Amino acid sequence: MAVVTATAPRRRKPNPAADGTMTVGRTRTGNLVANAAGVIFSIVMFFPVYWVLITSFKPQTEWSSFDPTFIPDAPTLDNFKSAFNAPLFKQSLVNGIVITAVAVLAALVVGFLAALAVARFRFYGRRAIILVVLAVQLVPFIALLIPIFLMLQKAELTGSSIVGVTLVYVVLLLPYTVWTLRGFIAGIPRELDEAAMIDGCTRGQVFWRIILPLTGPGLVATSVYGFIQAWNEFIIINTLNDPEHQNLMAWLMQNQTSRGTYWGPLMAGAIITSIPVVIFFLAVQRNIASGLTAGAVKG
Amino acid sequence: MYAVDSPTTPAHRAPVGPGANEPAPRRRKRRGKGDDVVLPWVLSGPALLLLAILLAYPVGRMLVLSFQKFELKELWTGATPKWVGFDNYTAVLSDSAFWSVVQRTVLFTAASVVLTVLLGLGVALLMRRVGRVVRMAMIIAMMFVWALPALVQAQVFKMMTDSDVGVLNYLIDKLPGVEFQNHSWFYTPTQGWIVITSCVVWAGIPFLAITLNAGLTQVPKELMEAATVDGANGWQSFRNITLPILKPLLVIVTTLSVIWNFGLFTQNWVMRDGKPEPEFQTLATYSYVQAFGQNKYGLGSAIAVLTVILLLGAMAVYIRQMFKIGEVD
Repeated sequence: MAVVTATAPRRRKPNPAADGTMTVGRTRTGNLVANAAGVIFSIVMFFPVYWVLITSFKPQTEWSSFDPTFIPDAPTLDNFKSAFNAPLFKQSLVNGIVITAVAVLAALVVGFLAALAVARFRFYGRRAIILVVLAVQLVPFIALLIPIFLMLQKAELTGSSIVGVTLVYVVLLLPYTVWTLRGFIAGIPRELDEAAMIDGCTRGQVFWRIILPLTGPGLVATSVYGFIQAWNEFIIINTLNDPEHQNLMAWLMQNQTSRGTYWGPLMAGAIITSIPVVIFFLAVQRNIASGLTAGAVKG
Repeated sequence: MYAVDSPTTPAHRAPVGPGANEPAPRRRKRRGKGDDVVLPWVLSGPALLLLAILLAYPVGRMLVLSFQKFELKELWTGATPKWVGFDNYTAVLSDSAFWSVVQRTVLFTAASVVLTVLLGLGVALLMRRVGRVVRMAMIIAMMFVWALPALVQAQVFKMMTDSDVGVLNYLIDKLPGVEFQNHSWFYTPTQGWIVITSCVVWAGIPFLAITLNAGLTQVPKELMEAATVDGANGWQSFRNITLPILKPLLVIVTTLSVIWNFGLFTQNWVMRDGKPEPEFQTLATYSYVQAFGQNKYGLGSAIAVLTVILLLGAMAVYIRQMFKIGEVD
């Protein structure tokens, strides 16, 4: 085998770019080992996801036994029924949708205007704004929860009010929104603006008719990411609001602590809670990764 | 260093500008109209206002709180909190519990970041070696992991390591001569932290691997081939070609991982059912529990301030790198 390894001709040499991989150092055994490693890696990575899925379809006899079934013997929807009928589920679902939608929309409008300013104008203080936007993304929000809680509590926006938590979510989403939209707007050639202005457009018309439509995909990607962020948050809302005014993620956490190791229904709840996020995430994944490291691969 | 000499000169613009370090291109872009001074501030006004109210003010308030005694009495009666100087800080810094939390958080951060970055890089390199079908499988598996909410990720790991019905115990029990039925993973802190770290690393690999894989596509094939012709082995090409090209990206993803993992809250919180034992506290949960569990808001703020101070280094590296790469022009 060792001899073969050393002298084996590189396969796919005539068309190395076909699958975009590097050809350097490729050997037949090397390929075999690499592919095997890739398959094992995929299985190990995916196993927990698979485990959530099948647990949610298992009857209690199966999920509560030490000898687990790797494919459910008697799949059932009982766990989902139990989750739907669990206390506060519907209320938390509605609250979660309202809070998330309002926060995303507000962050988008406010963030777009700010992104426009940093992307299209050169003004004193511009770098400072960028610096602030970059820095606040990094501050662990939990650290700010104490003063925010005290502030909103004094303003009576906590407890049974969802206004406070929605405001906090807007600010939570704002830095990323500004940062990502800035990138999208900067990608639109300035020549378009100039051409439109020569043709008689005002600044406002340029923003409305040229930049806004061209930023469309960016707005979609940013709002979807914002949706995921707000939907997944449960610590802030759990701290600020009473049990009747939680979102679905906080409901899921409360379910875990109150029902303990009731795994079947809990995993069904986890799936219901995750579905919108997973779908949205898979739709816009490309943009999420590039937002955090944008430009880093331009080299 | 990497074709970027000055933070003010973005790499992709360098050839266009008349002088590498002169502010000439900037001046040229200015239109000289009056609204260019006011309009950008009007546009960014709402965002800045929101950030000021709900970020800048809380930061200031947190600093102030850390020098005050703010407890249940102040919360309910609205009495003016008393200034206590550095009392909160002395109390925190002289508490051995705090130092063991710091030590634990640092240790966890180091271990989890090293593991995530190494494994992420390894997976990214592996993705360049495997066939199309296998690569697709790897990407799909990672996408699903990445898409799961952190809360659910933690819950799955909690379930899989459950002492009674956990599949991990079942699988280990299957090994010849090993008795693992009803083994409790959270009985000792070491084993518990192995579970928490595994969860964090598992959840972190997709972002690292997919980002670094994108970075690897930037490595010119000609360079690698030239190196092979010159007799470089795989390690030498990696060390001298791939790594330097990947370095700016590696710095960014590593600092991001440090910042994220240092602030660990969700995983240990969820796996310990929202009331972590002292051995499972991190700085984030510790500060949270002091404030919202014990109603010591001043003390909690002092811990939060110290946490942010410990993170400043990593944050500075990240921001500097973003400017250096020229994404911020």
